[in-house]
Amino acid sequence: MIVSKLKEAKICFSNLRVTLPYPFGPGAEVGEGFRGKLKVDAEKCVGCGGCANVCPSRLIRFYDDGEQTRMEFILDRCTYCGRCAEVCPENAITMTQTFETATNDKTDLYIEQELYMLTCKRCGRCFETNNAIDRIPTQRMRRGRNFVGASMPHGAPEGGEPGK
Amino acid sequence: MQSHLLWLGIAGHIIGFDTVLMQAWRIREPVMWLCEKITGNRKLLGMNLIGGVRRDIPAEIHDELLQVLARVEKETKQVINAIADDTTLRARCVDVGVLTPQQVIAYALLGPTARASGVGIDIRVDHPYAAYQELGCEVMVENGSDIWSRVLVRMRETLEAIRIIRDALRFMPSSPIIADIREPIPPGKVGLSSVEAPRGETHHFVITGEDSRPYRWKARAPTFQNLQGIPVMVAGEYIADVPIGLGSMDPCFSCTERLETVDVRTGQVRVYSKKELVELYRRRYEGK
Repeated sequence: MIVSKLKEAKICFSNLRVTLPYPFGPGAEVGEGFRGKLKVDAEKCVGCGGCANVCPSRLIRFYDDGEQTRMEFILDRCTYCGRCAEVCPENAITMTQTFETATNDKTDLYIEQELYMLTCKRCGRCFETNNAIDRIPTQRMRRGRNFVGASMPHGAPEGGEPGK
Repeated sequence: MQSHLLWLGIAGHIIGFDTVLMQAWRIREPVMWLCEKITGNRKLLGMNLIGGVRRDIPAEIHDELLQVLARVEKETKQVINAIADDTTLRARCVDVGVLTPQQVIAYALLGPTARASGVGIDIRVDHPYAAYQELGCEVMVENGSDIWSRVLVRMRETLEAIRIIRDALRFMPSSPIIADIREPIPPGKVGLSSVEAPRGETHHFVITGEDSRPYRWKARAPTFQNLQGIPVMVAGEYIADVPIGLGSMDPCFSCTERLETVDVRTGQVRVYSKKELVELYRRRYEGK
C-alpha cells in the first residue's frame, strides 16, 4: 500500500505542472496543419459547387436565383474535415487556425455570399460568374477566341480577351 | 491506445482517484498532438475516403512518432506498476461488477468487457481486416470477470497497440495511399464492414444510392451491445458501485444514442417518417 502510494507520488512529482493558464495566458497554439473554422474568399469563388458536393454534413448550400447564385455556409454543423478546401479549384476556401468558435450568437457561424452571374450576350442566359470570366485572360487561355470557345457556350465575352 | 488511456483516467475519476486521471491524460496528450500533426485535428481526423486515406504520415514525423511511443510505453508501464498494488483501488475494483463468461455470451458483450471475463473475442484475430493478418495481434484475456480485470486488459492492450504501431511503421509499404476512382458508384450495392474499435466490434452497413450517395447507412457501435449487460452486472451491487460498473464498459453514449418519442398521457410510441423529420429540422433550424 505505502509502496504503491510512493510510486504514484514519484510519478506526480517527476512531472510537475503541464497545464497552461488558458485562456488567461499565452501558450494555446495549434499546429501548422490544423483545420479550424473555414473561411471563404468571395473574390476567388467561381460558384462551381464542388464544396457543396463533397461536404459530408451538407452545410454548404447553393441556391440559383436568376442572376445571382446564393451560397450558404451553416458552420455550426461543420466537422472540420476540410474536404471543401481540398476540392476547391480556385482555393477560395481555406481552413483557418481559428478554434475558438464558441458563441452565443448563431450568426457568427453563418456565412452567406452572393455571386453575380454574367449573361451571355448572344442568348441572354446566365452562364458564368464574374470571377471566372475575370480570370480567363490570366489562367485559362493563351490567345484568340477559339481557346475560350472550348469552355464557354458562345465564345468569350469581349472584355475577356488578352491584348484588347 | 489513446482511448484506453482516456478510459483509465475517467475510471479513476469515477472512483475518486483523480491522480490517475491527471497522469493518464498527461501521458495521452503527446499522442493527441501527433494526431493533430498528421491529420490536422485531435479528434474527427477526417482521414478516410472511399478508396483510401487522405494524408500520409510525413517522413519528418517518423522519429518524433517513435519517441512518443517510447515515452508513452515507459510511462504507461510506470502507472501500471504503481497502481497494481494500490489497496484502495483494488478494494473498489476487485470482485466488483462481476460478469461471468456465461453472462457475457448470453448478452453478446464485446471488446475488453468480454475479454476480461475470459471470452477472447477480437475481430482483428477472428476476422482480420486491413493489415492485421500480417501484423498479428495478441488477444488479451483475463479471467477475473471483474472491473480490475477490465483495467488490466485495457492496460495490456495499450502496450500491445504500441507494439502494433511500431511494426506497422517498420513494414509500411510505399504505395499510393488512395485509389484513383473516377466512375460513379453504382446504386443499390450493399457494403458491410466490421472493425475492432477500442470498445469492441463496430459494424457499419451501407446501401449505395443515386448520385454516388448512400441510400441507407447504419452504424452499430459496441456500446449499444455492451449496455445490455449493465442490469445483470449491477444487480445486487451497492449503489456506489454502479457508476464504476457502468464506466468499466467505457460507454460512449453519443455513439449509441437512440430516441423514442412517447406520449406521456397515453403511453403511445410515435414513429417519425423521414419527411416529418426533415420538416421538424427545417422548422427548428431554418425558421421555415
